[in-house]
Amino acid sequence: MALAPLAACSGGAGSADVRPPGPIRLVFKHQPLWGDPAPFRALLAAFERETGDVEVVTEPLPNASDVVHQFFLTALEGGARDFDVLIADTVWVAELARAGWIADLSGAFPPDALRRDFLEGAAEAAIFDGRTWAIPWYVDVGVLYRRTDLAPEAPATYEDLARSALASKQSGTVQHGYVWQGRQYEGLVCNVLEAIWGFGGQTMSGDRVTLDTPEAREALEMLRGLLVRGVSPPSVTSQAEEESRRVFQEGRSAFMRNWPYAYLEAQREGSPVRGRVAISPLPTVSGAPGNGTLGGYLLALNARSPAYKREVALRFVAHLTSAEANVTLALAYGRNPPRRASYEDPRVTAGAPLIASLRPMVEGARPRPVTPYYPMISDVLQAELSAAITGIRTPAAALQRAQALVDHITGAGS
Amino acid sequence: MKGGTSFSDRRQAYLMVAPPVVVLLGVAAYPILAAVWLSLHRMILVFHEQRFVGADNYAFLLRDARFWTALGNTAYFALVAVSLELALGLGFALLLSAAVPGRGLLRASILVPWAIPTVVSAKLWAWLFNPDYGAITRLLPLSDTNILGTPGYAMHAAILVDVWKTTPFVALLLLAGLQTIPEDLYKAAEIDGASRLRAFRSITLPMLRQAILVTVVFRTLDAFRVFDAVYVLTGGGPANTTETLSIYAYKTLMRSGDFGYGSTLSVATFFCVMAISVAYLRLLGPREAGA
Repeated sequence: MALAPLAACSGGAGSADVRPPGPIRLVFKHQPLWGDPAPFRALLAAFERETGDVEVVTEPLPNASDVVHQFFLTALEGGARDFDVLIADTVWVAELARAGWIADLSGAFPPDALRRDFLEGAAEAAIFDGRTWAIPWYVDVGVLYRRTDLAPEAPATYEDLARSALASKQSGTVQHGYVWQGRQYEGLVCNVLEAIWGFGGQTMSGDRVTLDTPEAREALEMLRGLLVRGVSPPSVTSQAEEESRRVFQEGRSAFMRNWPYAYLEAQREGSPVRGRVAISPLPTVSGAPGNGTLGGYLLALNARSPAYKREVALRFVAHLTSAEANVTLALAYGRNPPRRASYEDPRVTAGAPLIASLRPMVEGARPRPVTPYYPMISDVLQAELSAAITGIRTPAAALQRAQALVDHITGAGS
Repeated sequence: MKGGTSFSDRRQAYLMVAPPVVVLLGVAAYPILAAVWLSLHRMILVFHEQRFVGADNYAFLLRDARFWTALGNTAYFALVAVSLELALGLGFALLLSAAVPGRGLLRASILVPWAIPTVVSAKLWAWLFNPDYGAITRLLPLSDTNILGTPGYAMHAAILVDVWKTTPFVALLLLAGLQTIPEDLYKAAEIDGASRLRAFRSITLPMLRQAILVTVVFRTLDAFRVFDAVYVLTGGGPANTTETLSIYAYKTLMRSGDFGYGSTLSVATFFCVMAISVAYLRLLGPREAGA
C-alpha cells in the first residue's frame, strides 16, 4: 500500500526501479559527527556485514542546519533519487512528511512503539498526523550552565537566577551575569519558547500555533527585563551559541543558556573555567525544573528511493537507531541517546557521565511546534521576537504582530 | 540599407548574431520571464500547491509592511554607501593619479579589500564589531554598545563594511577616467592662471562625468541588490532593521519554500533596479550628449 504512490510518481523513470547487478548501494546523506570517524565506520561496517549484499555510501552535508534544509528542499522538490536515507532536523519532519518527500515508516516503527521506547519529546518530533515519519538518531536540549565557584546551587526560578547573576557581577569576578542567544535566528526562537514554557505557556492549541498569550507576554517581558536590569549584557541581542560559549568559557559570565556540547568545550584542558562548570535544568517562574527546547536529528527515508532498496533502508535506519548505536554515539561522539533505556546502560553511566546526568533534562525536552509551516513561522517569529528583546516593540505589540502573521501563513495555506 | 548588401549577406549576418542572441535569451530573458510567471502563482513547495492567482501576490506586496521596511533599508543602504564610496573613491583616485614614488605599490595595496571575498571580510568585520572582543568597540568609546545587535547601529556597520570593501573599486574606475584627461588641459589652465580648485571644477569633474556615471550606475545597482555582507553580519536583524530586499526574497524563497511570493519580491527588486538605471540614464544622459 505504501508503494502505490511511489510507483505512480516513478512512471517516467522506471529503469531506476530495476535493481542493477551487484550489491545494493545505499546512500546516506548526513552531517559529519565530529571526532574520530572510526567508531562510526565500524557501525556502518557492522551493518554491511550483518545484512550482506549491501554497500553503504555516506555523503556528508555542510554543518549548518539551514543550508542543509535548503539542500533537501531543492533536491527533494526536484525529485532527487540519488540518496536513500537522510537526516532531518527535529523541526523539518512535519514539513518533509506533509510534502510527501519522506516515506511513512509506521509499518516498521509503529507510533506506539516509538512513544514507548523513545523519550517523549523525541517521539513527538517524529510523529505527524498519527504516523511515524522518522526515527530519532540523537537528541539535544537547552540547559543552564553555571560557574560553581560563583553559584554553588543551581537557581530554580528566574528571580534566583537574576539575583545570583547580579551578585556575581557586583563581586567583580565576571563582567556579565547571564548570557543566552538573542540574535535574530533560529536559536532565539528556542530561547523564547523555553521562557514561555517556564511561565506555564503552550505554543500549540490543537492545530493552531498560539503565540499571543499572557504567558508569552510575561516570558518576553522577563527576557527583555534581563537586559534592562543588566542581568544580561546588551551583546546577547547578537549572540548565537558560539558567541555565548566563548564569553562563558573565557570566564566572563556567571551563567549561560546553551546546548550540552558547550560542557565538553568548557571542561577541555586549557579552558579558563575548567572544573568550575555545572549543568542544570533551566529555571522557571515557579521553581519547577524547566523544559529545554529539543534539538537533534532523526533519520528518514527518501520517498523516491527505488522500491527494491526499501527493505534494506529500513533495516539500516533500525541499525543506526538501535540501543547499541545509541551507546556508540554517546561514548564516541557525546550525542545524547533518544532511547530511554540507553540512559541505564552501564557503559553510558560509566563512560559518559555527562550524558547520564542530562537524563532529567532530555526527558523534559520539548519539540518546537510540530507543524509543516514551522520554517515559515520561525522566519516571522525571529523578527518579532528580536523586536521585543531589543525594545523596538513592546512584547504585547510584537506578539500581536507575530500572531497575525502566523495566522496569515497557516490560514492561507490549509 | 546600403545598395551593395545582398539578401544572402544579410542572412549571413543574422546567422552570425543568432548564437549570442539565443544565449542572451536563455541566460537573461528566460529567468526573468520565469520569475514573472512564478510571481503570478501561489506556489509553496511543501504543499505542492501551484495555482494561478493573478496579481494577488502584488496586492499583498503593497500591504506588506515587511516589504516596505526592506525597501526602505535597501534604499538607505544604497544611497549612503554609494555617496560615501564616490566621495572617498574620488579622493583616492586623485591621490593615486599624482606622480608620487611607489605609486604602483600604492595602487596594488589599495585593492586588497576589494580582493577579499565579501563573506570573508564580513566575518572579519563581525569579529571587529564583537562587543566582548572586538577592536572597534575597544578603540571607540562604545564599550557598552553592541553595534550589530542594536537597531540603528547595525545598518551603519553594514554600510561601513560595504564602503571599506568597495571604495577601491570606485577609486580604480575613476582613476581610469582620470588617465584619459589630457595633461595639456591642466597646463593650459595653469597658464591662464586658474587655481587648482578651479581646474578641478572646470576640467576634472566635467571630463570625469562619464566615468562617474558608469561608476554610480554600477555601484547603485550592486548596492541595491546587497546580500552577502549584510547577511553574514546580521542575518537581517535585529528585528529586520537590516533586512534588505534580497535577504527578504532569499528567506522567502529558500527558507520558507514560498516560490510564488518570493518571486514577487525578486521581480519587485528587479523593477526597482530597472527604474534606477532608467532614471540615471535620463538624468545624466542628455547633458552628457550636449557637452
